[in-house]
Amino acid sequence: MTTADSVGPGARVRIWAAEHAASTGQPVSVAVLCETAMDRLGVSGVTVTVEAPPGWPETRYATDQLGARLAELQITVGEGPCLDVWREGGPVLVPILDAPAIQRRWPLFGPLAVEAGAGALFALPMAIGTIRVGVLALHRTRPGHLAADSITDSLAFAELALRLQLDRHAGAHPTADADLRLHAPEVHQATGMIAAQLDVSLEQAFVRLRARAFADQQPLAELAADVVARRQRFDPAGEAS
Amino acid sequence: MADERLIDTFVELADTLTDDFDVIDFLHLLVDRCVELFDVEAVGLLLADEHGHLRVMASSNEHARVLELFQLQNEEGPCLDAFATGVRVSSADLHSATSRWPRFAAAATEAGFAAVDALPMRLRSQVIGALNLFHARSGALPTTALRSAQGLVDVATIGLLQERAIRHQEVITEQLQTALNSRVVLEQAKGLVAERLGVTMDIAFTTLRTHARANNQKLGDVARLVISGHTSTRDLLASTAVRPEQPSRQRQSRNPE
Repeated sequence: MTTADSVGPGARVRIWAAEHAASTGQPVSVAVLCETAMDRLGVSGVTVTVEAPPGWPETRYATDQLGARLAELQITVGEGPCLDVWREGGPVLVPILDAPAIQRRWPLFGPLAVEAGAGALFALPMAIGTIRVGVLALHRTRPGHLAADSITDSLAFAELALRLQLDRHAGAHPTADADLRLHAPEVHQATGMIAAQLDVSLEQAFVRLRARAFADQQPLAELAADVVARRQRFDPAGEAS
Repeated sequence: MADERLIDTFVELADTLTDDFDVIDFLHLLVDRCVELFDVEAVGLLLADEHGHLRVMASSNEHARVLELFQLQNEEGPCLDAFATGVRVSSADLHSATSRWPRFAAAATEAGFAAVDALPMRLRSQVIGALNLFHARSGALPTTALRSAQGLVDVATIGLLQERAIRHQEVITEQLQTALNSRVVLEQAKGLVAERLGVTMDIAFTTLRTHARANNQKLGDVARLVISGHTSTRDLLASTAVRPEQPSRQRQSRNPE
């Protein structure tokens, strides 16, 4: 078995999560992912909030009280890094919460977060384009930058959390692909096409794409290419389940 | 390549670095200008994600065949080499590059290209991506042109990263990830439009872009509005000369793209 050091970040975090799960006798879940990320990234705590339905965040798992509190605060005051990830379209990484610029950016959340005991907060979207699944939030009680390697790994943890949550939505289909092939543009194009073919949301379209890839034992990117080339269609009648 | 055109291009690019900045529009402008300035067939700009995969952010030519040539370079090719080494990688004659890049050279020559350059996008000690120029004729670009091209690549890097004094990896990550995500949104929108209008991906792209320009909107915003349903297919058609093919249910016998 490959060691975590010799592979890319995607495989690395999967190996770490699997090791952690095995050592505690559980399957890899969002909870296991959060605990693994906390150990590996050098942060005080990790929280996953999910948007179910989109726009309605709820805390799925928090490794500590502070994480849950920070998530709750942002929902209450309606501002903060975890909400801004959707506005920006990418991560919002705040190594120093108690700084004037930060307090100005979030005049309600800023002081409350510091008061609650947070020094740094790093919010990573669990998303694919406009498909919003949730946010992976890392916090530190002390301010400080994330090391470059940790930033890379945290992005990979967010992608794994995204996959776990999608699997959960889809009724826990195990899938043919361990990774989501998000760097393949045909995956996103196919998602758009299927959404139009079935008249469903992009998230539902992506779930269907993965489900068919698994059912047909076909690699996801290959099926996506078939959809884009119009060799395969998704028909509402055929997708009744 | 006239000096004046080059200066105009730098000014044009610099002008876009305002509050209203849209990364996708900016990068498309850059690649389109590169085609004109260097008299090449196709230009693509690729950025690496956190896994090290090179992803197309903007291409002067959105035909599937050309986009695939960029994608292929995740396995081998000048962009991969430029990304790995941080230096310019060129081939003046792709026909003799078959031992260097067997799959890529074959695919590129089949697509009608004879020469290629890949320029690294560098930020201090990091290489974040590459600009790829494809030529229809063999031969090397003159040194002045290569220097100008690298200058434009450096402007692209600055435009992408939007901060004059980037000290920390957090800022770089935020901006690169945001840019990568914007491209994903565009791909999703292309798929929706391609299906609804019964057109190919490059026509779907052109439709979105034409609508954005006609309505003075950012391409990224139009993509999101189409996905959310706030901009309808009818709205898109009103801005373009594209007419839909047969409605969806009758398209079963359509030839594959």
